[in-house]
Amino acid sequence: MNNCTEADEYLESLWYINEKSQGAVSDICEHNVSRLSEDTRGGLSDEIIEKLVSENFIEIDEAGKSIKLTPKGLERARHIVRAHRLAERLLYDVMGKNIEDGACEFEHIVTMELVDSICTLLGHPKECPHGLPIPQGKCCELSAKSVNSSVIHLDELDIGKYARIAYVNCPNDQLIHRLNGLSIRPGVTVKLHQSYPTFVIECEGMHIALDNELAENICVWRESEFIDGSKLVAKTKKRKFPFLGRLKK
Amino acid sequence: MDKVRKVLILGLPNSGKTQICNNLTGTYNLVANYHHTTIDVNRAYYEHGGVLFELYDVPGLYCLYANSEEELLVRNLIFSEEPDVLLFCLDANLLKQSLMLGIELMELGIPIVIALNAIDETSKKGIWIDTAVLSSTLGVPVVESIAIRGIGTRKLKNAIEKARVPKASIYYGDIVEAGVAKVVQELPEDFPFKRKTAMLLLLNDRFLEKDLISTCTTDQYSDIQKSITAITSQFVGSIGKAIYYKRSEWVDQLSEKIVKTQQFDQRSMAKTFAKMSRNIVTGIPILGMIILITYFLVVKVAEKITFIMESYLWKPVIDKISGFVTSPFWWDFLLGSHGVLSLGLGGAVLTVLPILSVFFIVFNVLEDIGYVPNLTVLTRRFFSKVGLSGYSIMPIVLGFGCKTMATFTTRTISSDKEKYIAIFLIAFALPCAPQIGLTMGMMGKVGFKAFMIVLAVLLFTELTAGVLLNLIMKDDTKNTYLQALPAIRIPNVFAVLKKTYYRLYMFLKEALPIFLFSAVVLFTLERTGLLELTKRLLAPVINNFLGLPNDMVDVLLLVLARREAAAAVIMDLIDKGRLNFNQAIVSVTLTTMFVPCFANLGAIIKEIGFRRAMIAAFFITTSSILIAGALNKILLFFNHG
Repeated sequence: MNNCTEADEYLESLWYINEKSQGAVSDICEHNVSRLSEDTRGGLSDEIIEKLVSENFIEIDEAGKSIKLTPKGLERARHIVRAHRLAERLLYDVMGKNIEDGACEFEHIVTMELVDSICTLLGHPKECPHGLPIPQGKCCELSAKSVNSSVIHLDELDIGKYARIAYVNCPNDQLIHRLNGLSIRPGVTVKLHQSYPTFVIECEGMHIALDNELAENICVWRESEFIDGSKLVAKTKKRKFPFLGRLKK
Repeated sequence: MDKVRKVLILGLPNSGKTQICNNLTGTYNLVANYHHTTIDVNRAYYEHGGVLFELYDVPGLYCLYANSEEELLVRNLIFSEEPDVLLFCLDANLLKQSLMLGIELMELGIPIVIALNAIDETSKKGIWIDTAVLSSTLGVPVVESIAIRGIGTRKLKNAIEKARVPKASIYYGDIVEAGVAKVVQELPEDFPFKRKTAMLLLLNDRFLEKDLISTCTTDQYSDIQKSITAITSQFVGSIGKAIYYKRSEWVDQLSEKIVKTQQFDQRSMAKTFAKMSRNIVTGIPILGMIILITYFLVVKVAEKITFIMESYLWKPVIDKISGFVTSPFWWDFLLGSHGVLSLGLGGAVLTVLPILSVFFIVFNVLEDIGYVPNLTVLTRRFFSKVGLSGYSIMPIVLGFGCKTMATFTTRTISSDKEKYIAIFLIAFALPCAPQIGLTMGMMGKVGFKAFMIVLAVLLFTELTAGVLLNLIMKDDTKNTYLQALPAIRIPNVFAVLKKTYYRLYMFLKEALPIFLFSAVVLFTLERTGLLELTKRLLAPVINNFLGLPNDMVDVLLLVLARREAAAAVIMDLIDKGRLNFNQAIVSVTLTTMFVPCFANLGAIIKEIGFRRAMIAAFFITTSSILIAGALNKILLFFNHG
């Protein structure tokens, strides 16, 4: 790992610590140095800290015990995390592959514009495959729905069309259990029967009615993959679920 | 017989569990083509091969993780009763969803037998399931069945004896497995199904955590909590997702192995009907047509039945009795205006029974084809206006069947606010099946316009009550509306008739004694002069405010006992010309909304407690009188009496 990548990893770790302890990212994060070194791979090297301080990404208090992300550092960390989680979505949804290795490399390379394009392509996902929030980008704020978007929300699907679920933005654990019980999960093909007054989909032979909010949170692949029902079986790609959580260590 | 073997029937909602239970034991519990028909545990016995089997029929569930009280009831039953055999009712139409539940049941380590139900429907759809491979892969007996037609019952009885502990299991990966093993060790000695418990704790099951707090010492509990945190923190994000992915993978692989599908999908009448009934453009006219047809059937056909029964059965018998009884007191007791035979038996059998027979047939057909849940699609937006966003729509729609049962199904609602609103609305202006039938019968005597006025008033009242409650009550958790819809199917004539028979039988069994008893009470009140006194006391309200004749006091007293008895009297009053158009409308509206029936009140108390139930009942009764009074004034203004 070169210095630059390593510095990014530290910034990312700072973001994670903050996310874990507060559930949301505040403007300024303050952290204990010893805790940071526990949470980052291989501990902190003075060289990296100096680099981060000199580039105005972090501030260290006089006693040398507490680390603070500067606004600039915060923005950089946010970009890294966003890129990482979007990459996970991309690798996982598009390729059905193990999401960790690629995503880690990915986060250091991609430019802001590329990240926004991927975000748009994936229909502005709200969370990564692990269920963690993806920091929003400019594209999400503008809620750009470009023609390039391959993943659309269920409520944008045409009536009578089939689509394969890419992912579900699931606000709570309880809903995950209910959705799984009804087989509404990534990789499954659904058909939209109606959207008014209530959404009705067909999923694994079952008709299910759901409200608009949930329909917005179910993201599906644009129809190009499925022209009609008869081609469904031939075209349905087998999904693998190789990962079992992302191990930190 | 040395031992009773406990068999628990489990499966998805609406997968045919109750029907299988009925088939095996020869008993009868209500079956319907929608979810939550069974809301409590039903027990029945049967004997096979010299062994006595105790069968538990329970509500359906999607997973062992408890989302609602209803699901908790089932899981608690498994955990507390530790049944000898699980009879897993696998809905062949919903194979993957069933298998998701199946793998969880298999992890319990209890001997299982599988009834692969509704295979007639899958074969029609061109889906073929390899039962032999399913059986050998899971290592448990699998019996194909078509429960609704009683097919497969004998084989199932034999198979239950051969139930095996399944060999299927999922390896959840090193971290989860090691974690589960650790939690299992830390769980208290007497905790049943330790592995399953550990898994559920990892998934953050709040009900199990409560159980754990009550059974563990503080140290034990904190140790377990620490272990769980240690395991879950090794995952970025939700461990639940990781576990479900493993299960989904298992289900996908298994179904790929056992299912063969033809691409040709028949477009059936049933599918088209389902589609039309849910679409707003066609759905509302269909609903209107259903109400219209029901109205005319109830009014015209029931009238004919009553006429035939009256002239060929009732009249000859009454004439005979009338000839025998010479004492004026006994004649009055039996055949007078409050006579046991004329008001009691006659009201129940001659007036109410024909209406209910016709209405139940219509209603049971609607239930059997699965129309009722599809109504929720049509009405969801309407309900959301009154603060009902999620689970409560189905209970309310079910309230048109039976308010008591619907009140119990509010157990599926996790939001307190929604639950209260739903219970209140069910108890208030929502007419239950017998009430709808009787309202149609009563209004049929006055005219269709009157029926529509009553309907509009009830709807308006319900809507206003909902909007007000929604404004008054504090918001808590928001519910997501997610409702599985049963497949529309052609009604099964035999099943409909059988259910109608049982519903009528239950009506006669429960209501006839009350009819007779109320007649005796009214007769006594009349003889002692108390009735007259009550009438005089209530005159300002009844006569002036509600604009009704004094006879309505009888009706209101009867409502307290049984709505059907009151309806019989109202119909009698209309027949005798004692209630005019306005009065008929006011009295029917009043009795529909008036105090909830005893069974419903019992259910309300059970669900929300005595105090809140009493408050609800008080408001319902008071508002019903106020609304009926206002209705009287409005009708007088437009129709001049």
